[in-house]
Amino acid sequence: MSFGAWLELIASGLITGGVYALVALGLNLQYGLMRILNIAHGEFLMLGAFAAWLAYTYLGVSPLLTAPIVFVLMVVLGLLIHRLAFRRLAATSPDLDVFEARGLMVAFGLMFLVQNFASLVWGGELRGYDYLTDPVSVGGAQFAANKLLLAAVALAVSVALIVVLRRSLLGKGVRALMQSPVGAQLVGIDTARLHPLMFGIGLGLSGLAGSLLSMTYAISPAIGEPYTVTALIVITLGGFGSMTGSLVAALALGVIEALGTHFGSPSLKPLLSYGLFIAVLLWKPNGLFKR
Amino acid sequence: MSTPPSSTRRSTVQALAAGAAGLAVPSLARSQSAPVRVGYAIARTGPWAGGAQVSQEPNFLMWAEQQNAAGGLDVKGTRRRIELVSFDDRSEIETCIRSYEKLMGSDKVDLILPPWGSNANFALAPLANRFGYPMLAPTALSRKLIDMHLPYFFSLLQQPDRMMGALVDMLVANGVKTIAILYMDDLFGLENFAALNAALKKTDIRVVERKGYPLGVKDLAPVLRTIKDQNPDAFIGITYPPDTILASKQSKEIGFNPKLFYASVGTAFQLYRNVLGAGAEGVSGMGSWNAATSPGAKAYFQAHTAKFGGKEPDRWASGHCWAGLEILTQAVAKVGLDRKAIRDYVAKNEHKTIIGPVRFEGSENVATPGSVGQWQNGEFEVVWPRSIATAQLVMPKPAWK
Amino acid sequence: MSGRRILGRDLSVLAVLAVIALALPAWVNEFGVSMALTCLMYVALSSSWSLFCGATRYLSLATSAFFGIGAYAGALTLGELPWLAAIALGAGAAAALAVVMGSAVLHLRGTYFAVLTFGMTELIRHAVTFAEKQIAGTVGRVLVFVPEPGTVYLTVLALAVLAVVTSIAVRRSRLGLALAGIGGDELRAQTLGVDTRRAKVIGFAISAAFAGAVGAAMSVRWTYIDPATVFNPFIGFQTVLIALIGGAATLWGPLVAAIVFSVLAEALRLQLPQLYMMALGLLLILSVLYLPGGLASLRPGILIGWRDALLARRPARRAGAGKVRDA
Repeated sequence: MSFGAWLELIASGLITGGVYALVALGLNLQYGLMRILNIAHGEFLMLGAFAAWLAYTYLGVSPLLTAPIVFVLMVVLGLLIHRLAFRRLAATSPDLDVFEARGLMVAFGLMFLVQNFASLVWGGELRGYDYLTDPVSVGGAQFAANKLLLAAVALAVSVALIVVLRRSLLGKGVRALMQSPVGAQLVGIDTARLHPLMFGIGLGLSGLAGSLLSMTYAISPAIGEPYTVTALIVITLGGFGSMTGSLVAALALGVIEALGTHFGSPSLKPLLSYGLFIAVLLWKPNGLFKR
Repeated sequence: MSTPPSSTRRSTVQALAAGAAGLAVPSLARSQSAPVRVGYAIARTGPWAGGAQVSQEPNFLMWAEQQNAAGGLDVKGTRRRIELVSFDDRSEIETCIRSYEKLMGSDKVDLILPPWGSNANFALAPLANRFGYPMLAPTALSRKLIDMHLPYFFSLLQQPDRMMGALVDMLVANGVKTIAILYMDDLFGLENFAALNAALKKTDIRVVERKGYPLGVKDLAPVLRTIKDQNPDAFIGITYPPDTILASKQSKEIGFNPKLFYASVGTAFQLYRNVLGAGAEGVSGMGSWNAATSPGAKAYFQAHTAKFGGKEPDRWASGHCWAGLEILTQAVAKVGLDRKAIRDYVAKNEHKTIIGPVRFEGSENVATPGSVGQWQNGEFEVVWPRSIATAQLVMPKPAWK
Repeated sequence: MSGRRILGRDLSVLAVLAVIALALPAWVNEFGVSMALTCLMYVALSSSWSLFCGATRYLSLATSAFFGIGAYAGALTLGELPWLAAIALGAGAAAALAVVMGSAVLHLRGTYFAVLTFGMTELIRHAVTFAEKQIAGTVGRVLVFVPEPGTVYLTVLALAVLAVVTSIAVRRSRLGLALAGIGGDELRAQTLGVDTRRAKVIGFAISAAFAGAVGAAMSVRWTYIDPATVFNPFIGFQTVLIALIGGAATLWGPLVAAIVFSVLAEALRLQLPQLYMMALGLLLILSVLYLPGGLASLRPGILIGWRDALLARRPARRAGAGKVRDA
C-alpha cells in the first residue's frame, strides 16, 4: 500500500476515534462521577439523532443549530430523570455496590422504555439525510466534511471538559466528588446540586453526539445499543471517569480498528473490540492509563 | 413425521362435528358468500420490517383489494370475498411460528401467505409442509431451503448461482478484468459469495480483494479505502439495504469510483434513490423487472403507486411477490381451495406472470434467469441478460454526485 | 412453618403446576401450547438464573451465551445422537463454558461482572460467526432432524420443573448457604471458611446448564439457527428482567413473573408490541425503586407502608412550609 494510502488509513482511524470519543463523553461523566452505568446512553443518543433529523427534514434547520438545542433539552431531561429515579436510589441504597447494581437495572429499564417509545413513534425503518457530505481534500486524501466536523467537535468538547475539570472551581468540585463523595460533602461541596447537574450534562452530551452523528449515519430506533457498547469499551479502556484517558483510548481504538480491518477484514472488528474490552477488564480494570 | 394419536382423534371429532353441523344447517355451510380466509404473519416492526413493508405486505393488501373489487377471488368459477387474517411477527421467529400455528392449526384458514426473509421461511416451511399448506415465498433465498425438498414449499427468487452467474457473464461481456468483493457475514452473503467465486473460476477475471463484514457494521470506509487503493474495475458488494446505502455513501466520501459499482440488495428499492438522489445514477444491483418488462408489470406498478401514495414496489422481490400471488390466483381459479390440488397445480405447470414465465423444479423457480439491474435516469433498468433487458448497461458508472 | 413443611408445600405446589402444564395440550390448540412453551422456557431460564444470581447478587448477562451454545450443540448432534443425549450435551457444553468464564471473571463484582458477561456473550457470538465462516464456509445450521411434535414441549416442561426442584434442593444445601452468604457479605463468608470461588463457579455452572439445555431443545423449533438468532442478547435481557421483577432471591418470584409476562406478552405483543416492552421497562424501574425484592416480596405490610408514605407526604408538606429551618 502506498504511503499516501497509509496516511489516509490512519487519519480515517483517528477520525473514527474522534467519533468514539464524542459518543463516550456523556457515559464517562455519568459512570466516572456518579457510578451510574447508564446503559440507556445510546438510546438518548438516538433521540438526539431523531431530533436533528426531524428538524432538518421538516423545518430545514441545520443539525449544527439543532445540536446545542438538543443539548439543553437533554440536560433538562437528565435532571428530571435523576430526580424521579436516581435520587431515590441514592437515598435508599445501603452501599455503593447496591446503588451501582440498582442504577444499572434502572438504566436497563430506561433502555427498554426509550427504545420502544421511539419505535412506536417512528417505526423501524431507516431514515437519513445528507448534510455536509461533500468530500474535503486534505493532502491528497479525501474525507467527508461532516466526519471532519464530528472529529473536530469531539476534540473540542473533550478538551473543554478536561480544562474545565482541571481548572475551574466547579471542575475541582466534580473531581473531589469522584475521589471521595463523603469527603467532598465534608468540605462543603453541594453534592445534592452537583449530582443531578452532572447526570444531566452527561445526557446532554449524548444527545449532542446523536444530533451530530445523524449528519452522516442512517438512523433508526435500534441504533442506540451499538453506540452504548462502543462508549462502554472506550471508557473501560481509558479508565472510568478519566476524560483524557477516554479521549486517548477512543483515538487508539479507532486506529486499531482501521488497521485490523485493513490487514484482516471488517469481520474481525467486533472480535478486536470485544477482545480488547474483556482483556482490559480482566487485567487492568482501572483502564490502560491509570497509574 | 407422524401425528400423535390425540390430534388425530381431535381432528376426527372436529371433522364429525363439522359434518354434523353442515348437515344441520346446509345453507350456511355451503354458502357461496363464505369468504376465503387467507392468513399470514409479517414483520411490521423490528429489523425485518423495512424489507417486509416494501416487498411483501403491500402486495398482499393490494391483491386482496383488487380481487374483492372484482367480486372476490375466483374459486373454480364462483367469486368469493377474500378475508385477510394477519399478525405482526415483530421480526421474531418464535412469534412468527406461533402465529402460523394458530392460523393453520386452530383457525384453519384456507390459504396462507409467507412471511418475510429466509430465517422466517426456514422456520415456517417444515411446519406448513406438515399442515399441507402450499407456500410461494418471494423473499426466501438459500440453496439449503431448496435442499430440504419440501413438496409444499416454493421459492420464487432466483437462487445465488443464477444471480451470480448472470453477474459474471455480464462482467465478462463488458471486459471487466479486476474486481473487489465485499460480502456480508450471513447466510445470504456467504452463499452468494460462494456462488460468485464458483462462477469466477471459469473466467480470467482477477479478484484483488475479498473482505467480509459483520452484521450491523457502522463504518465501511477503511475497507473501502483499502479496495480503492487497489483500483479494481468493478466493486461487487453482497450487502443488505443498510450496508448498501452505507457503502455507497462512504464510497462517495472517499472518492472511490470504480467503473462498475454493484451492491446486491437494496439498490432495487425506491429508498435507495431517495437517499442517494442523483448519486444513484449508474449503480447496479439485483433486480429483475420494472414497469417496462411487460404490460402486466406496468399495470401492477401503476396500481401500486396509486394505492400507496407514490410508494413504489421494489424492482426485485416485489415483482416476484406479485407473481406468486398471480400464480396462487390462477391455481385457485383452476382447482379451487383443495390445498393438495393447488400444490400439484403450482408444481406441474408453467405459469405466466408479470415477471415472465415461472416454472418450478422441486422448490426452485428455474424459469426466471439471473439478472442485473442498474439505475439510469431515475429508473432501475434490467440490463442483463439481454433477453429480458429493458436497457443497455452503462459503463463506466458516472462519478458519485 | 418448619423447614420440612415448607419443603412439602413447595413440592406440592410444583407438582400441581406440573400436572396442569402436562395436561394443557389436551385442552388447548397448538397455538396455546406454543404459548405455554415460551412460558415454560422462561420459567426454566429465570428460575435457573436466580438460583445463582439471586442468591449471590451477581448480575449475569451471559444467559444468551449459554442458550446459544446449547442450541449449537443440539444443531450439531441432533442427527447423530438421540434426543435426550443431545439435550444433555447442550447442558454440558454450557456448563463447561460457565466454568471457563466463571474462573476468569467471578472475582469481579457488581457492574464489572455484569458488563463483562455481556461482553463475553457478544465475543462468543462473533467468534462463533467467524469460526463457522472460516471452517464451514457457512454461518448457520439447518436442523434436519424433527422430533415428534410433543417432544419439545415435554422436554422444556421437564427442564422447568427440574430448574425449580434444583433451586429448592440448592437452597437447602450447603452450596445454597454458601451462595446466600456470598450475596450477603462475600468477605465475611470467606473469613468464615467458605470456599467462595468454588461455590460461585459451581452455582454459575448449574445455572448455565439449564440455559444450555433449553437452548438445545428450542433450536429445533426454528429449523435454521444462526449466531444472530440463538445468541440474541434479548433472550438474556428478558430472563434477567423477569427474574428481577419477580424477585430474584426468591423461589417462586421468577416463576410467577414468567407466567405473568408470557400472558401479558401474548395479550399485548401481537397488537401493541412496543407498549409491552415499554411496560416491561417501566415495571423494572418501578420495581427497583419501590420494590427491590421483586413481586414476590409484595406483602400486605409493604402495601400498607406505601399507603402510609403517600398519606404522610401531604400533611408533611403543609407542616414543612411552616416549620422553621433549624438545621
